[in-house]
Amino acid sequence: MSGVTQLFFILGALCLLGFILWLLKKDTLSVKYSLIWLLCGAVLLVFAVCPYFVYVIRDILGMEVPSNVVFLMLDGFELLILISLSIAISQLSEKNKRQTQSIALLEERVRRLEAQTKD
Amino acid sequence: MSAKILVIIPCYNEEENLVRVIDRLKRSCPDVDYLVVNDCSTDRSEQILRENGYNHVTLPVNLGIGGGVQTGYRYAVENGYDIAVQMDGDGQHDPAYLYEVTGPVERGELDMCIGSRFITKEGFQTSFMRRLGINILSVLIHILSGKKVLDVTSGFRATNKELTAYFANHYAADYPEPEAIMSATLNGFKVGEAPVVMEERMGGVSSIRSLKSAYYMIKVSIALVINRISIQKKGGRG
Repeated sequence: MSGVTQLFFILGALCLLGFILWLLKKDTLSVKYSLIWLLCGAVLLVFAVCPYFVYVIRDILGMEVPSNVVFLMLDGFELLILISLSIAISQLSEKNKRQTQSIALLEERVRRLEAQTKD
Repeated sequence: MSAKILVIIPCYNEEENLVRVIDRLKRSCPDVDYLVVNDCSTDRSEQILRENGYNHVTLPVNLGIGGGVQTGYRYAVENGYDIAVQMDGDGQHDPAYLYEVTGPVERGELDMCIGSRFITKEGFQTSFMRRLGINILSVLIHILSGKKVLDVTSGFRATNKELTAYFANHYAADYPEPEAIMSATLNGFKVGEAPVVMEERMGGVSSIRSLKSAYYMIKVSIALVINRISIQKKGGRG
């Protein structure tokens, strides 16, 4: 791997980490959902700074090309992030359902009370 | 003293049926309370409910049949009803059979009693394909829970206080009827059926359309299997 390529990878990982931190600072992203992204960025940065790790993992897994190790890891991270998003959506829709029901029940009570106080 | 009964009527775009359904209920069963759950209908349902002074709650966003019926169960819990009965808003369920369905629950024989059109096989028996689908789900529930229920998709069902409270917290969202039987049985509630005669819906369109049927079958089957895996089967309650 040439020095330019490595520099490019390091910059890329730093950009990702910087972007996540910036979103966190702006409160656009909550800490809970940022953790997995930060972990992903950190691993990429470590790989970029010390490609030695990638070679070791490649040898352990018996793969041919080191970059495939990185792609495999990225695939894993993406799946994790996607599943965590599905979980988040499920939890949100459950909460949304409960709240919708509560609003409807409260609205009915208000209507009943208003009718009572009119008498 | 007789039990305090609440009839929950889920309603989504039922402007054609509402008045007939509720007037018929008031005529046949004057001593039960009812609650229409208007699931954010886009037609004149809300207007009809208000103009006639019908007892109703209106969901601010559409939740689907499960979320709607569950709202009714929560209302029943909050207002201390002994028995909650779900009855469809399309006129398929004749309130003349209401006490047939609530009877076994009131006498403590069952925790949930489902009004079934397949016991005496009278009245509207629905299409062949739909009966086939219901049979498949019935067999699946039998295999998974050991409970034989014929009319698994019937939305005419009574639950006692305990099960109503359970459903107020745990109820499937989209096509909840078969899943409710499954989770009630697996949690040790006694489920059974009473014969009723159903009619063809009076007007409007059913929410289960033929194109969606395959999707419905697959989804419900998977949900039932997941249910079986995730709930530890409990013994009967007394």
